[in-house]
Amino acid sequence: MKRLGIVLLLAAALGGAAALAQQPAGRPWQELSPEEQRRAWENYQRYQQLPEHKQRSLGERYQRFRALPPQERERLRQNYETYRGFDPGQRQEFGQKYRRWKSGQPASR
Amino acid sequence: MRCRRAQRWMVAAVDGELAPRRRRTLEGHVAGCPECRREVAATEAVLAGVTGLARSGCEVPSHLEQATLRRVRLLAAAEEEGSVARRWWAGFRIPALAFATAAVAIVAVELTRGAGDRRAAPSGPRAVAQAPARDKPRVVASRERPAPKVAESLPAEPPPELAAAPDLFIELPILRNMEKLEHFEAIDTTTLDDGGEQSNG
Repeated sequence: MKRLGIVLLLAAALGGAAALAQQPAGRPWQELSPEEQRRAWENYQRYQQLPEHKQRSLGERYQRFRALPPQERERLRQNYETYRGFDPGQRQEFGQKYRRWKSGQPASR
Repeated sequence: MRCRRAQRWMVAAVDGELAPRRRRTLEGHVAGCPECRREVAATEAVLAGVTGLARSGCEVPSHLEQATLRRVRLLAAAEEEGSVARRWWAGFRIPALAFATAAVAIVAVELTRGAGDRRAAPSGPRAVAQAPARDKPRVVASRERPAPKVAESLPAEPPPELAAAPDLFIELPILRNMEKLEHFEAIDTTTLDDGGEQSNG
């Protein structure tokens, strides 16, 4: 009985961690296509060159991204493709709009 | 404003994510600080590489790559000179925390999963992302381990950090611009016609 109590207590204490750990993991490396492996490798090398706080921030964003519903993740990918297709002028204008938009938001950082 | 704080704000500034007031403060500091001006240039170059090329499959021009890496290494080495002790402690404290987090997650998984239902890499992407590989000297900075060359060919075995969360690195450009992409439509329909926007700097 006492042993059962200890097990239950331990399980409750670790419940949060278990919930996190049971989120679906990303794809294993072996399941990536050669093109995806190449892209991941190149981005990994660039990531290594970023400052530590930026790496940490990207890790947090990755967790947030993974937690999004699939359709929302897809929406972000499509928006990124649009953003990437901008010419320099469009990108600059979008940056200005972004700062304008952000200045109207409640402080979030 | 001190250089240390300025350097913390630089990445956000280059991403256009720094609040206008902070941006002005940073610009004021950078205008009078040659070292921070160099740092801004190096940060811009690295981040431009991530955003512009990461999903396109384009090659970084080798002269730009070499020049950027050289500058970043020099700056990082200079910084390292003055903060070896601080880095040593940070490099020791954080891995301990990361290790504890990973250990808790592994124990939790083992408790809640059946013995026969094991997936590869139970400490996987989450542990990596929460404490991204801080068990070794970081950045560009390390003199023992030169910064990797961006165009290096694919290794036979990926580094553990990459193997644990390859999707993080595939999605890196999206993650870098996540706020913009989440509010893309709202931002795109924002008007600039009342002249309130600062110059782009």
